[in-house]
Amino acid sequence: MSTENLTANLYLLTPEFVLAGFALLVFVLDLFMPDERKDLLGWLSVLGLIGIAILSIAMLVGVDESLYNGLLAVDEYALFFKVFFIGIGVFIILSSIDYVRQHLNHPGEFYGLLLFSILGMNLMAMSRELLTAYISLELLSFSLYVMVAYALGSPRSNEASLKYIIVGSVSSAILLYGISMVYSTLGVTRFGDISEELKAATDVSPALWAGLALIVAGLGFKLAAVPFHMWAPDVYEGAPLPVTAYLAIASKAAAFALVIRLLAEAFVPVADRWDQWQIILVVLAALSMLVGNLVALAQRNLKRLMAYSSVGHVGYILAGVAVLSTDSLLGANGVIFYLVGYSVTSMVVFAALIAFFNATGQEEIADLAGLADRQPFLAMAIAIGLFSLSGLPIFVGFTMKFYLFTAVANEGFLWVAGLAILTSLISLYYYLQVIRQMYIQPALAASNEGDDHGSHVDAEDEAGGSGDNEDDHTHTPAHHDPASDYVALPRPSAALIAVVFLGLVATVGLGVYPAPLLELVESASAAVMQGG
Amino acid sequence: MVPLVAFQLLSAALFAIGIYGVMARRSAVLIVMSIELMLNAVNINLIAAASHLDGSGRWANFDGQIIAIFIITVAAAEVGLAMAIILRMYRNRSTVNVDEINLMKW
Repeated sequence: MSTENLTANLYLLTPEFVLAGFALLVFVLDLFMPDERKDLLGWLSVLGLIGIAILSIAMLVGVDESLYNGLLAVDEYALFFKVFFIGIGVFIILSSIDYVRQHLNHPGEFYGLLLFSILGMNLMAMSRELLTAYISLELLSFSLYVMVAYALGSPRSNEASLKYIIVGSVSSAILLYGISMVYSTLGVTRFGDISEELKAATDVSPALWAGLALIVAGLGFKLAAVPFHMWAPDVYEGAPLPVTAYLAIASKAAAFALVIRLLAEAFVPVADRWDQWQIILVVLAALSMLVGNLVALAQRNLKRLMAYSSVGHVGYILAGVAVLSTDSLLGANGVIFYLVGYSVTSMVVFAALIAFFNATGQEEIADLAGLADRQPFLAMAIAIGLFSLSGLPIFVGFTMKFYLFTAVANEGFLWVAGLAILTSLISLYYYLQVIRQMYIQPALAASNEGDDHGSHVDAEDEAGGSGDNEDDHTHTPAHHDPASDYVALPRPSAALIAVVFLGLVATVGLGVYPAPLLELVESASAAVMQGG
Repeated sequence: MVPLVAFQLLSAALFAIGIYGVMARRSAVLIVMSIELMLNAVNINLIAAASHLDGSGRWANFDGQIIAIFIITVAAAEVGLAMAIILRMYRNRSTVNVDEINLMKW
């Protein structure tokens, strides 16, 4: 291997270099920007991200190459996920600008960290070597640890980030131990080489199996698949709302992007051994569906509800991951399409919840009472988003579940597909409860909501000191004033409305006419399943 | 020459002690130290593998040592971040005992 190999096609990494430089630029600009104009940094990040997405598309369509002697892949799959992650980043920034201004300090660094985490996610989708994958994963995780802790005065945010960093570090250590076991038995770390070695090996040592199991466990933590999900609800609840949205949507999609490439290049080609591995993944998937959806029934906090619901969705996606195969692209198509559909739909729900939180400072399910009267647009957005998540037709949620479950059933895992449909029905129950609050429950007189505006973090601070979870959120006003039966909420900002609106259009549009997206998804999954 | 298995046993023992520490310790700082122990167990495993597999044709590579250097770097960053978060926790709550950090559960 000569140095020429390392630098010959380095230009293919231009979007990543630009993104890294741009993130640093945002950090530096933050130093010189007066505090009241830091919103500009958010808008600047949005523009930069859109520019980088266009640059990637212009440069990389149709390219299928490997960088640094096969450490990073630049192919349709990576490009698809790159644009996808950048799109998520744009929407998250747009929906968080108001929140950041009202509730968080140091907005510039928030956007800078977000850009770095997007860089990490892009690299995760590209990496085809274990160490590279690990470093990209840590770039994402480190940014997220800080973003979860971003509400500096809030003990909840603090507790969430402490739990997140401890669980995250332990899971990285487990992942690394797995990597070291694989390395010490096979002597290779590239995904392609691993599959060559596995094919060649007649007898696979227990050390290797232990290593692979540890890698699955480590990635399972990152995905929050049952039984490695215990951190997720706490972290989701404590984190600032836009960060919760980001965790639920982007970090999950990135982890799946990595898992799909790892499995597709290292394990799926080893057909007979892959059959044994499918069982493990299917069991993890079934557990995630059951636990996520059943525990979600008991939740009262919206963020926690979304956390458990996302654990359930991870279960569905894992079932799709388990049926990846070299013969048919159905599984890969289903998984990638599901990731996009899930992200779009969750974005609608979270953006609407962020708008609600900005106006009221509330995040319990009960607080949504009467939202249909107070802010009909938000109520409709949340309702459509939740219907889509539960998989009702004409929304993208139905289409994505249809594709994914069909793929699972096609591969012979009928019971998993059945379980997935059953748990989707269960999920409809808790989503409908939220919708019932908005449309049927009368609005509470909101006498103290105006005061909450902008001071929610401080209020939590005082309440949190008592260490009692149950009483923090009794927002029901003691003195009910019949004259003001409900108070219409102030209009959300244009950026938030735009995000919700575009998300709704995509939710319905992809549900009715998914063909254009499916074409892109197919070229992406063909690149990863057959390219390596 | 010390056989590879000896290093692997040492590494496994250190890793197990690390996991025990994470689960049994009550101070967040000690938990972070236990995590460091786990990462160093990984380093021992990697470097032993790299040096032992060296020289027998196919195995001649330095990947293990390179990975170990990366892990040391990442671990340093990780500790810095964890300590900052723990410090913030101490300012907010005046405790770093993880038993008392229980605002959210279930």
